[in-house]
Parts: sequence; structure tokens; C-alpha cells
Amino acid sequence: MWQGVARFARNRMALFGAAVLGCLLLLVVLTPVIYPDNPFKLAGPALQPPGGRFLLGTDTLGRDVAAEIAYGARTSLLIGVGATLAAIVFGAVLGGIAGYYRGRTETVLMRLTEFFQTIPAFIFALLIVAILSPSVSSEIIAIAAVSWPSIARLVRGEFVALGGREFVQACAGLGASDARIILNHMLPNCASSIIAVGSLLIGTAILLEAGLAFLGLGDPNVMSWGLIISAGRAVLRSAWWICTFPGIAILLTVLGINLIGDGLNEALNPRLRER
Amino acid sequence: MVHDPRLNKISRRTALALPLGLVASSSTIFNNLAKADQPVRGGTMVMIVQPEPSTLAHYAVTAGNIPPIATQIYEGLVTYDWDQNPQPNLATSWEIAPDGKSITFKLREGVVFHNGKPFTSADVQFSFMEILKKYHPIAPLLLAELTGVDTPDEKTAVLLLANPAPYLMKGLAGRDLPIMCKSVFEGTQILQNPSANKPIGTGPFKFGQWDRGQFVRLDRNEKYWKPGLPYLDHIIARFIPDAATRSAALETGEAHFAGYSAVNYADLARMKTNPTLDTTMKGYEMTPALSVLELNAKHAPLDKKEVRQAIAYAIDRNVILRDVMYGYGKPATGPLSSLFKTVGFYTDDVHKYDVPDRLDIANRLLDGAGLPRGANGMRFGMHLEVNSFGEQWLRQAEYLKQALAIVGIDLTLRSEDTATWLRRVYTEYDYDINEPFLSQGVDPVYGLNKQYLASQIRKGVTFVNDSFYANPEFDGILNEAMREQDHDKRAVLYKKAQQILAEDCPLVWLIDVQYVSVFNRKLHDHTTGPLGTQQAFERAWLET
Repeated sequence: MWQGVARFARNRMALFGAAVLGCLLLLVVLTPVIYPDNPFKLAGPALQPPGGRFLLGTDTLGRDVAAEIAYGARTSLLIGVGATLAAIVFGAVLGGIAGYYRGRTETVLMRLTEFFQTIPAFIFALLIVAILSPSVSSEIIAIAAVSWPSIARLVRGEFVALGGREFVQACAGLGASDARIILNHMLPNCASSIIAVGSLLIGTAILLEAGLAFLGLGDPNVMSWGLIISAGRAVLRSAWWICTFPGIAILLTVLGINLIGDGLNEALNPRLRER
Repeated sequence: MVHDPRLNKISRRTALALPLGLVASSSTIFNNLAKADQPVRGGTMVMIVQPEPSTLAHYAVTAGNIPPIATQIYEGLVTYDWDQNPQPNLATSWEIAPDGKSITFKLREGVVFHNGKPFTSADVQFSFMEILKKYHPIAPLLLAELTGVDTPDEKTAVLLLANPAPYLMKGLAGRDLPIMCKSVFEGTQILQNPSANKPIGTGPFKFGQWDRGQFVRLDRNEKYWKPGLPYLDHIIARFIPDAATRSAALETGEAHFAGYSAVNYADLARMKTNPTLDTTMKGYEMTPALSVLELNAKHAPLDKKEVRQAIAYAIDRNVILRDVMYGYGKPATGPLSSLFKTVGFYTDDVHKYDVPDRLDIANRLLDGAGLPRGANGMRFGMHLEVNSFGEQWLRQAEYLKQALAIVGIDLTLRSEDTATWLRRVYTEYDYDINEPFLSQGVDPVYGLNKQYLASQIRKGVTFVNDSFYANPEFDGILNEAMREQDHDKRAVLYKKAQQILAEDCPLVWLIDVQYVSVFNRKLHDHTTGPLGTQQAFERAWLET
């Protein structure tokens, strides 16, 4: 484990990613202290440029863009992590069952997975949110629903590879139950791959959430980066700051998370260890 | 005056041929003057229509994007001057019977449809009785009292009415009651008629081509009954879905005209600084509309008048006007648009909600209604259905949530796609507060009757009485006003109606909407009457 951390720490890009994510988490924690008011509150005159009373200016309704971004970070992380966890649990269960039991179960489950994988992710997510009516929970469900197939395929592949190994066969020989073999012996052995892929999924989930909110399918009661950009788009040529800052926030966050994901992948993947 | 462009050319050539500088320069001055106020024949005008209409069946579908194209082709019996008085068009004169139960129209000689068929009283009869009264979404309201059309001769049409219908004289333009060619439709399925998307009318422009997703081309009607008109050779209606591209098309001179607020309000300030462009708010005098909040009186505590009034008091309309509508429009004072001031039906002598101590009043009303603030400062929670017709409505909803929180009403916004939203509100009545945008038509009859009469509580019909307002006294006044022939007496009745509504507050009236047209300064005489973009551009001309 410590070896892994050390390998991760040697990767400068991954450290940069971790620093970005650290700042973001700090921002989320401090938001209620820095901006005790609701981010939807009309804080001052509309369309104030950055640098004055408002660090990042105000939007078309006179709301503080900096406060909006701070609260948006919370939404983005909540939905990004929530959707990814949901996708991992669902994907791991399906992929695990398919990879462990093989045979007809595997055929059915993997065809199902492939079926979901062929639907364009963003359009499918739009459809789900439109049907469920936009809210934080429906966004999490929609993003999880388009993200799980990659986890399921990964876990199934790992399980197929682990299934023939001696320690697994030894467990079976000793009379361990299926659940015990899967949970105690097989899952921990593919945890590193799941973590690496899952961390990348968070970035994708945050992008999907921003896209949904941009198209007006975010929860209208919750501030989010996509919502700020969509509100500022109409005045892009006269008030650049409304779209620019949340755009930079999305860019940095997704970049940071991807760099961490790459770092984790390199640190935890045995095949890349010696490079 | 009819202008002959050949004269201009000859004089210019002559001037250039003359060696005398003096003559040449005086001729240049003459030409410059001529440029500014003398119409020029020819040219192609490009107008932006947003969004692209799904059909051009102007007689069966009402949508704001159809008339700018369709009224170039279909004409009405009359047009309107700036004071909204009817002026001769396809009808040269008319006479209303003393009992108000018939209107006799004398029709214009020498008018032919684009297919060469002469225009006669049979076309009027067929259009009114067989097409508009049966298939048009709004005309049946206008023509509710119409029992038949008599055609004593080819050039006389008599509208027979069960009761006087004074409002009918406001709705006879091509936008509201267009005249179609009987021989095109007779014996066919009206709604499947091939002329739906290749319209045939009597107007100054003929249908040319519709390239879906791109443009509709209209060609000059060489046989138009107004001599010398139209000036333009073609009108191209272009469809540009992206707002920024629409603005750019105007700024680069690629398009000459964009009406009906096709240009984003946010871009108008920049447009105004462009020396080649200008804007006008004229031409929408007969297109009144209000943005409102509908309150579902079946959902407590909105059944209490004090609660509805408190909501009306809690909202600062000037904030919506400034930050959501970019300053275009006026704070609404009551149920009728102030555009009805021109005809004397509007009054602001009603219960006023935009008062300095409005927040105190709102809090007092809510306290009095037995709705004290809870531990979190909120009295009660409600859902607001976000209008799905554009992003500005989400901005308005976000403001409303903040404004009502101040008086202790906790709004939760719900934004759904258009079909789900309309079904929830108008079919399932599963809403508390709704924020629609209501067109009010050419006479108070439409806007008031459909929104507030108890008989208009019609499950499943959109944009009618969904707030469950039912007041027999008020219904009596509206029904009387509908048939009252004396204009001044009608005005008194409508004043009373507005006062009752403002007091009962079944809806909260927000903004008296103002549309804006943006045009290239080279385009002249485009807005010649109160119907603006929804009447023909026969006098429009382009500087060369």
C-alpha cells in the first residue's frame, strides 16, 4: 500500500491533480463560512464585472458568481461521486455475477451490458432526467445508468481471470460460500482497477452533470456550474465572466480528477509498475 | 405616390454625361434626397423568423411564427390604422346593422388570387363558415355569434350574427381572419389540403419555395390589386436556430429585419450601437401579452384571497423588468395589457400592488390568514412550475423564489419538458403556481373571457381558466360587455371587470410584454401599422 502511495507521489501530474482536488474539497468545506447566504440570493447590481465588490462579478440577476461557483462545486462533487458510487456498486454486482458464474448467466448479463453500452450516453441521460423530472437524485440515477457498463465489463474480466487462480480454487475446496469468495477474496483483488477506472468516471460524471444543467435539465433549486454557464450564455459577448469562471472550474476539476485517475492507474496497475 | 425608377436612372445618366460640374453636383444632391424618402422598386428583403414554423396553414394553426410569412400571402377584409380603426382592404366599405346583428361588406373589384381565380363573396363565405369557424383554434371565439354569411351578389358579403359582436370589427385583418380561395379548398379535406404549405391568397407576395430548415422564399405578386405595389421582388424568411448567429446575421447586413423579439433582449443594447441597425417597438400595438402567475385556488392556502394578494405584493416587478426582460416592457398593473389604452378599455384605477410598503402589507396579510412563520422563517411551501418556453422563464422563477422567501413562502422550482409541464398544469391541475405568458388578442373578449370565465375551466385545454376563478357577478359583466355595442358602455363594463379581478387576484400579473424589431437602416417602410410584422410588407423597400 505504501509502495503505491510513494509511486503515486512520484508522478508530478498526479500530484497536481491531487492539489486541485484538495483545493476544491477545501472550497466545498469552507463555502458555508465564506458565503453564508444562499447562492441564488440577489447580492447586488446585475452584470458587475469581476474585481469590484464581487471577486468574480455578478450575473444577469445580480447574483455573486464566486458564491455560485462555490455552491456549484458542492453540487458537482456530490453528483459526480454519488453517480460514480452508484455505477460502481451496480456495475460490480452485475459484472461480478457474470464473471463468477459464467455460462448462461454471463451471456445474458453481458449482452444486457453491451446493449446499454451502445446507447449514446448523453442522450440516454437526457431522456432519463426528462422522464424522472429534473432533480439531484434523478441526475445521479441518469448518470449512473449510463456509466455502469464499463465497470461491469471491467469487473467481469477481472473475475474471469481470477476465477482460475489457485487461491480461489483453494477457497472453494475448503467449502467457502460463493458470497465469501466473491467479497473477501476476489473483489479486494480487483479493487485497484475499480478505483482507477472509478476515479476517471467521476470526471465524466461531472461533465455529464454540467451538460444536463446547461440544457436546463439540472435541478432548478440547486446551483450548479452548468446552470451558471447556461444563464450567462445569452450575454457571453457583453459579460464574459459569467461563463468563463465556471468553465475554468469545470476544466480544472475534470483535468485534476483525470490526472489523479491516471496516477492511480499507474500506481496500482502491476503491469505499469516497472515503467 | 408611385415612383418610376426609370426616371431616376435617366436623370443620373444625363447628369454624368454633362460636362458641367454644377449640374452634376445638384443632381447628386437630388439623388441623395431621393434615396432617403423615395421608394425604390426591386431588391430582396431577408427577414429572420424564429423559430421555423412547422406549417404555413395559417387558417388552422396559430403560432406567432406563422403570420410574418402567411400575412404576405393571405389578406383580410380590412387592415387597421395606427388608432386601430378598420381601413378598407379586400372590403371597400361596410355597414353594421342598427341592431348589431349583421355586417354588410362591399368587396373590392378586380382582385384575383395567386392561382388566377377572381375574389368574390363566395370566398368570404367559405373562408369564414367552412374553414375558420371549423378549423381555426381562435377564430371560433371571434366568430361565436356568426350564424351564416349571405352572398346577395359576387361583391357583397353579409355576416349574420346571433347577437351583436362589437369585437369582430377588431379581428378582420389577415392575421386573425384570413380569406382563402374557395376553389382551392372546396370538396377537399381542409386540414390535408396541399395548399397548407404552398399557400394561395390575394396578398402582395406569392409563395415561392420552402427549403426546410433554411428559408421560405416569397415572390412579388405581379397582379397585386394595389397599383405599383409591392416594391420588393422577393422576401426571404430565414430560419436561424442559434440566437448569436441571428444577431450576427443582422450585424453583418445578411438579414434586414427581425421582428417579434427574434433577437435576444440581451443583444439589443449592442445592436443599438451599430450604425447600420435600428430598433423599433412599434408594430405590436395589436399584439398585447402579459406574463403572469397562475395560482391554483384548489390548493390551500391559495384559496384565500389574502394569500394570493400577499404573493402579488411580495414581487418587485421592476426587478423582473430590469434583470429578466432587460428593460423591455412595463410592470403590469392588472389583468389587461396597457396596450388597450389606445381603444379606451385599459384602466389602472384598480387595486395596486406595486406600493412602497408592499412587503409589510404582504407579511400582515399572511399573518392575518393564520400562516405564521415557522422555525426556519418560512410560513408554507409551494411548487412553482417553470415555463419551458425559454431560459428567461427559469431566471424569472429563480427571482420569484428569492422574492417570496422574503415574506416566508418557500418555493420549490420544478422544470419539466413542455409536454409534461402543460399536462401537469392544464390536464392534471397538479400545480400550485404556474408562470405562463398569455397573449391577449385584439379585444378584451379573448384575453379576459378565456382566462377568467367559470365556463372556461376546461380540463385538458391549455391556456384557459386553470386557476378555478368563478365569480358569477364577474361572469355577468363579461357576458354583457361582449354584446354591448356602445363603445363607452363597454369601456365602463371592462373597467369594472378589471377592478373586480385586481381585487380578487386570481392571477398575479407581472410584466406587460414589449416585443422589439431590429432592422437594417436601408430597409424602409417595414412597420406601417399596428400589426407590424404580422401584416404585409407591400410598402417596404430597400435602399440600393
